[in-house]
Amino acid sequence: MESVWVDLLVAVIKILVILGIALGLGAYLTWVERKVAAHIQRRPGPMVVGWHGLLQPIADGLKLITKEDLFPRYGNRFLYNLALVMALVPATLVFAVIPFGPEFEVFGYRVKPILTDVNVGILLVFGLGSLAVYAIALAGWASNSKYPLIGSMRKAGIIISYEVAITFAVMGPLILAGTLSTYQIVQNQIEQNLWYIWVQPVAFVVYMFSLLAETGRVPFDIQEAEAELVTGFTVEYGGMKFGLFPLVEWYIEVLTLSAIAVVLFLGGWSPLNIPFVGFVDPLFFLGPLSPYAWFLLKVTALFLFILWLHWTLPRYRIDQITEIAWKIMLPLALLNIVITSLIAPFIWD
Amino acid sequence: MPWAKEKDLSDLKERFPGIDIKELENSTSVHVPKDKLIDLLKVLKEEKGFRLFLDHSVVDLKDVLEKEKDWRNLSQKGLIAFPEDRVSRFQAFYILYNVDERKKVIVKTRTDGTLPTVERLWFAGKWAERECYDMFGIRYEGHENLVRAFLWETYPYFPLRKDFPLEGIPEQELPSLNEVLFGDPLEGTMNYERRHTLVPTLEDLEITEKKRLKKKAQIVLNWGPLHPGTHGTMWFLFDLEGERIVQCDVILGQLHRGVEKLAEHEMYNQFLVYTDRMDYISALCSNQAWVVAVERMLGIEDVIPEKARYIRTMMSELQRINSHLLWLGTYALDLGALTIFLYAFKEREKIMDILEGITGARLTISYPRVGGVRMDLPEGALEVIKAFIKRFPKELSDWERILTRNRIWLRRNKEVGVITPEEAYYYGVTGPVIRGSGIPYDIRKFEPYDAYPEVEFDVPVGETGDCYDRYLVRIEEMRQSVRIIEQCVEKLEKLPKDAPFFAEIPKDRKIKLTIDGIGLKAPVGEIYSSGENPRGELGFYILSTGGTKPYRVKIRPPSFYNLCIYPRLMKDRVIADAVTVLASIDPVVGETDR
Amino acid sequence: MVKRMVMKPLTWIERILFIDFIRGLSVTIRHAFSKTITTHYPYEKLTPPKRFRGFFGHKVVDGNEPQPAFDEWVERFNIQVEYGRSRCVVCLLCKKACPVPQLFEIEGRKLENGKRVVSVFNMNLMLCTFCGFCVDACPVDCLFQSDIHETASYTRRDSILDLETLEKIGRDWQMRREHEPDRIWIDDDQREKLWYENSVRLPEPKVKGRHEW
Repeated sequence: MESVWVDLLVAVIKILVILGIALGLGAYLTWVERKVAAHIQRRPGPMVVGWHGLLQPIADGLKLITKEDLFPRYGNRFLYNLALVMALVPATLVFAVIPFGPEFEVFGYRVKPILTDVNVGILLVFGLGSLAVYAIALAGWASNSKYPLIGSMRKAGIIISYEVAITFAVMGPLILAGTLSTYQIVQNQIEQNLWYIWVQPVAFVVYMFSLLAETGRVPFDIQEAEAELVTGFTVEYGGMKFGLFPLVEWYIEVLTLSAIAVVLFLGGWSPLNIPFVGFVDPLFFLGPLSPYAWFLLKVTALFLFILWLHWTLPRYRIDQITEIAWKIMLPLALLNIVITSLIAPFIWD
Repeated sequence: MPWAKEKDLSDLKERFPGIDIKELENSTSVHVPKDKLIDLLKVLKEEKGFRLFLDHSVVDLKDVLEKEKDWRNLSQKGLIAFPEDRVSRFQAFYILYNVDERKKVIVKTRTDGTLPTVERLWFAGKWAERECYDMFGIRYEGHENLVRAFLWETYPYFPLRKDFPLEGIPEQELPSLNEVLFGDPLEGTMNYERRHTLVPTLEDLEITEKKRLKKKAQIVLNWGPLHPGTHGTMWFLFDLEGERIVQCDVILGQLHRGVEKLAEHEMYNQFLVYTDRMDYISALCSNQAWVVAVERMLGIEDVIPEKARYIRTMMSELQRINSHLLWLGTYALDLGALTIFLYAFKEREKIMDILEGITGARLTISYPRVGGVRMDLPEGALEVIKAFIKRFPKELSDWERILTRNRIWLRRNKEVGVITPEEAYYYGVTGPVIRGSGIPYDIRKFEPYDAYPEVEFDVPVGETGDCYDRYLVRIEEMRQSVRIIEQCVEKLEKLPKDAPFFAEIPKDRKIKLTIDGIGLKAPVGEIYSSGENPRGELGFYILSTGGTKPYRVKIRPPSFYNLCIYPRLMKDRVIADAVTVLASIDPVVGETDR
Repeated sequence: MVKRMVMKPLTWIERILFIDFIRGLSVTIRHAFSKTITTHYPYEKLTPPKRFRGFFGHKVVDGNEPQPAFDEWVERFNIQVEYGRSRCVVCLLCKKACPVPQLFEIEGRKLENGKRVVSVFNMNLMLCTFCGFCVDACPVDCLFQSDIHETASYTRRDSILDLETLEKIGRDWQMRREHEPDRIWIDDDQREKLWYENSVRLPEPKVKGRHEW
């Protein structure tokens, strides 16, 4: 009986920590993005609110919250608000299956730093990921306006195309790991002494492309395409409702999908891996905190890389994006599965 | 001056009895009766090689008809077609260009209000005719969809007619325009007019929209007038089938200020200020084109001091880089590469600094003057320019590293918006757009002005005429501009510091030329002179009856004619291409609307 | 000379190894670690160049008038010259040269001793295009354009410059910048931020009294 209460307490603590990370970090990533973008463009970025604009996200949030709540005439109010929920909830739910580090002991209890280590973790991630398309389709439809409609249709087209590609791309690491549990995938990489990126570079590239497409990052940000569609499906949203969509799409989803990428390809919390040599840990001095530092480092690096791409590349056209998905990414992913199945037995040893 | 000679066209006289060929000092014109106009134009286009349509407009001769002296002057000079006809109020002119032999000709005819349409010969003529219908009320027989070009459909007047007053007809009360400060209606010092000229209502705009485009497909998307992709206030109508554009039209006029009307009421130098505001991205080039046109008309091109010519050339090439930088930035921005926009603006800011230091203004420059330039170069100007052009090619190749061979950039630009050379003539496009199609049509080479004949540069041309070629052409043009500036700086450094920068007119010519331009009188005559703007050929047709003000100024806006190919290019493409094609044509609304 | 612009298609190596992306990324990362070039506007301000065409002003009589033009015009219009007041001789040439002459409202007043003096000189800057034709036309170097460029105001009335404001701007200008040499700009830190990568070196200003117009 006692252990149930403890489990519940641990779960609540975990939920609070994860929600704090997801939403707080999400907001602060706007600051990171603005700074990165600014420096790439030779500007200093936000500098006025707080030291180097550190309080800028809070100021922005305050401004967005205090704005007038607008609603388009003849729109559908229920769907209009439902879209927000549909956008926010699945994106944050994905954090439930992200393992942040190895198991540890507190007061004699063994705690896994993962909310629920379900044995179909990866399936859950992509199941929740495809829910995002509903949010966007609803937002576009409920706004009763032409630009949001076009933007949401574009985005729906992309997500449906890349859902397929991304699912086949992760199949490679899954075959190697032999499990769907995210925690176990990392453990297997550590046991097999191998990051899967070294044997799955093609899958990684396909995954990264799909990540960019699903989160609407450059070069696939056509649902926004401010030059064509102003801001796509968020045109009719105002205030914090408007702020929520980019927050979810550009930050929380990018964060979760990069974390999944780290889990699948970069060995989760494991230290640096060199093929044929094994794990090298330059951060050993952190002691038991080292795995968390590694996890954080990898996710940050991926996030910064995505920002770097975002502020360098132009964007594709909608037909070209779907064309790439079906004609290049999907065949590549399938080919990768075939090859992986052939080499998998050698790695399992 | 590259005008067709009388002997080139003399065989036309036999085929079309009744026509008249006049070779004047600044132009060659063919006078043709209205009923033979289309046949003559067809012969000129198909047999004589005058394939490029430059301009068409109308001169309202009402004031001349009423003033015996002006009429005598003009008809003696041969500026009026069929001077025996004292009733027909309008004189229409068509300016055509033979690119292979580099010859121009003006075709003139007289009319009382109707003209046959040249739509079949040149599409560009269709838009020019719309403008004439809008401004003069000329009816074009056989025109496919004769709608107003700039003003809304229900507007009752024709503003460029001579009987329409300059300040308009104030007939509408607009209380919101008037400021009341603590109960004080601010009268006294400078009064604000309480009554305003007509303003379109929403119903008017709806009628205008409905007249333009009959819905055929699923959605009519109003793209603009205020939209980040339209580079100004242009109003596009896209009839969409999914995301595919079935038909498209443009409604212009949101920035229409009646510059041509204003020109009839301004002195020659003072009109400079309005040329600034036409193509506001490249004010200096427009200034230069106007100034050169007036100088040619006065016949004082030969006395312009060398220093002034070189300064003008150098400055307008700086302005060309400036303008192309804005184009590059917004082009990349439209295609999603935001960073290039800020890199381009960094360099643009430097040019702005230079222009500001030399002329005092950043955007609306008004620096050249008829007869020279306003001020000499200040200390340090050449050093700064040298420092700038030394580094600029490096920055340019940086941006090219990001864009030129990027696969996304290639896919977005290749095979999009293809203009064949034949189409380029048909639609009357000029500037980088026609050069992208492989035709080396560059006024700086074809009809050099200022210091252009003395500097060396190449004219870049494309192969296929798609957006990518236009991109390459513009990038290379920036490099060539740097080359020209280098040569100009070299020359200016050699010139003595106290060399004159403003012309001194020899006593016998009797032209009062001052830097402020008060009292500058032009002789009776006409001229069509053009300059190579960053966007294409900016031409000025000036008709003068003597006196300090021109009788009629027709501006040939490059953006207007470049834009007329846009609906054709957008057919059966998706919205995402709309921004690509529009940005690669690079219109400036201040100029299309004037 | 005609230069044909042709670009080779992407090679397979470039496609597979994403060399085109890497090239672009290398440029942006280099810029990311370079110094920023912006001026932090309301906190830092650029000094406009001396030739800047901003708000108008009337230079006042201080003994530096362009001679002999000034004396000639004063005599011609019978003007009462007063030290420290506007040099205007009410010749109306500025109004004549202006493309929008409605913006000037100029009146002279006859004094008891029979001489004339400018009494009203209003410029409605809402109509003004800042082209500088009036400055060119001014024969006595009275009307000029200063470096004041922050011209926003709350009411339309503030955009009308009257004689007193014009004189104030003029006095201020004569004190601050009149004696500067005619250089493209004066070196300041703000401008250096943008221009440092060009390593531009302006020649030393020649010490000179007044710049001749």
